[in-house]
Amino acid sequence: MSFRRYLPHYLMIAPFMILFAAFFLYPILSGFYYSFHDWNGVQTPEYIGLGNYEKVLGSRDFSRAMTNLLWYIALTVPLGILAALGLALLVDSFTGRWANFFRNAFFLPVVLPAFLAATIWRWIYAPNFGLLNVVLGWLGMPSVNFLNDTGTMLYALIAVDIWVSAGFNMVIILAGLKNIPSELYEAARLDGANKWQQIVHITLPMLGPVLFFVFTYGLISAMQVFDKPWLLTGSSFASYGGRRNALLFPVMDMMGRAFGGVKFGEAAAYGFLLTVAIVAVTAVMFGLRTWRERR
Amino acid sequence: MSRITVWVVLKWVVALTIALIAIFPIWWTINVVFALPGEPVSLNPRLWPTSLSAGLQKIHMIFTETEYLRAYGISIAYALLTIIGVLLIGSLAAFEFSLFEFPGRRILFGIVMLALMVPTAVTIIPTYLLTSRLGWLNTMQGLVVPGLASAFALFMLVQFMRAIPKDMIEAARLDGAGHFQIYWHVALPLCRNALVTLAILTFIQTWGNYMWPLIVASRPEMYTVGQVVGLFNSPLSHHTVDTVMTANLLAAIPPLIFFLIFQRQIVEGVAMSGTKG
Repeated sequence: MSFRRYLPHYLMIAPFMILFAAFFLYPILSGFYYSFHDWNGVQTPEYIGLGNYEKVLGSRDFSRAMTNLLWYIALTVPLGILAALGLALLVDSFTGRWANFFRNAFFLPVVLPAFLAATIWRWIYAPNFGLLNVVLGWLGMPSVNFLNDTGTMLYALIAVDIWVSAGFNMVIILAGLKNIPSELYEAARLDGANKWQQIVHITLPMLGPVLFFVFTYGLISAMQVFDKPWLLTGSSFASYGGRRNALLFPVMDMMGRAFGGVKFGEAAAYGFLLTVAIVAVTAVMFGLRTWRERR
Repeated sequence: MSRITVWVVLKWVVALTIALIAIFPIWWTINVVFALPGEPVSLNPRLWPTSLSAGLQKIHMIFTETEYLRAYGISIAYALLTIIGVLLIGSLAAFEFSLFEFPGRRILFGIVMLALMVPTAVTIIPTYLLTSRLGWLNTMQGLVVPGLASAFALFMLVQFMRAIPKDMIEAARLDGAGHFQIYWHVALPLCRNALVTLAILTFIQTWGNYMWPLIVASRPEMYTVGQVVGLFNSPLSHHTVDTVMTANLLAAIPPLIFFLIFQRQIVEGVAMSGTKG
């Protein structure tokens, strides 16, 4: 009787829940199963215990990808947030039409598909005739092969990354700036605080939660970076990561194992290792926040 | 006007320079396309478009002589079907989760919200294997269906529908409206703004999705714009710079048009997803 009463509710959520179970819950469970099996996608999966995990953790590509990832995260996340914070403060210092203009201009790269941003930047970085090298030529400097020189590749990626993501984070920070009550600034001005002191003592502390979100979200997405390095290095499943694997990242490595090497079990194990890392990082971030709030 | 100090001038210079850096790559692409062919890019980082007809000719050429038009059609169909599906399925579920009580409501919603924290990395390969087993590789349903149950969409719509006064639902029920009619005629119109924002964000995201089409639509007949752009730009491509840049520009046009029309909704949508999360 009561089931009939609730039936309309279940019918309405059914499409979502069925698709969610089929294309989210089931894949996670089956991925967990595959991660303990040797499987090329055709033959029957063969149980090999932790073999896949050992193979991934012991492989040279894995440690290379992790090293790259650590350097990449250590630079791109803080630099990206600094850039976004700077942009937000800049936009906020304008009013009316110009504030809108600058906000939209800075945001423009966000709406472009990431594959396109990477593609266009590849032309800008191109050796000899690329825009950047033309400018270097004007300044009398030698041409640099930005995307094929292991000393510059990572920085070339980070520049594109910031170009794309700064506008996104700026918009979130701007929303946070709007929520800071203006009385705080007035009080500070009456106390004789200058612009810089106002930023350090009012703006930044008040932005705490927003910056926390931007930082955590930036960290999680940086750990999954794929399209940009993949396209900047002109990768395919046959060959990826760029010269001497200088732009090899974990998700690229995982996708390569699945679709280049048809080792689906290994790729599934890779996915779980990554997930554990991401969940751990997220947990640490939230733990740190609670710890700070308690003090 | 006594306030024009060094700082103000500096501020404008910095702001304009950054705006230039943000806009320049796409502006430069436009200029390469709308210029007579044959001029080497190297000698001329073109600063403004010079020939409208040459640009239109290149666009005409790329649509008639290459596979670009089909990829365009596929990407548009992929984006539109995804938008319709995500909005419809998400709003049906959000309506129930936000406005009604039924056994299992909390736990089901909780499970879906946990999904927001799971990275794509862990699901993409098993989802591919499932799609493959369903025989959906290189089909439109293979592209669209696995992405329809969007936890983000549900989260966002629930936030909005929570604000709908329960009295309005009761009033409609007393007027004799059925459950589905209340959803369709009361709840949906009330969260039109949220639906529009979600549709735009879904469009930009689907149009820019590179990873999923790369593995699911691996046959040339099912290539999306992202893959075709990749082909044009590959080191093995035999296309001229003009053609490649036209391919790039055409991929940028739909999201750019959306941005020009809906800039306010897009910016607010992004800001909201950040501050409420």
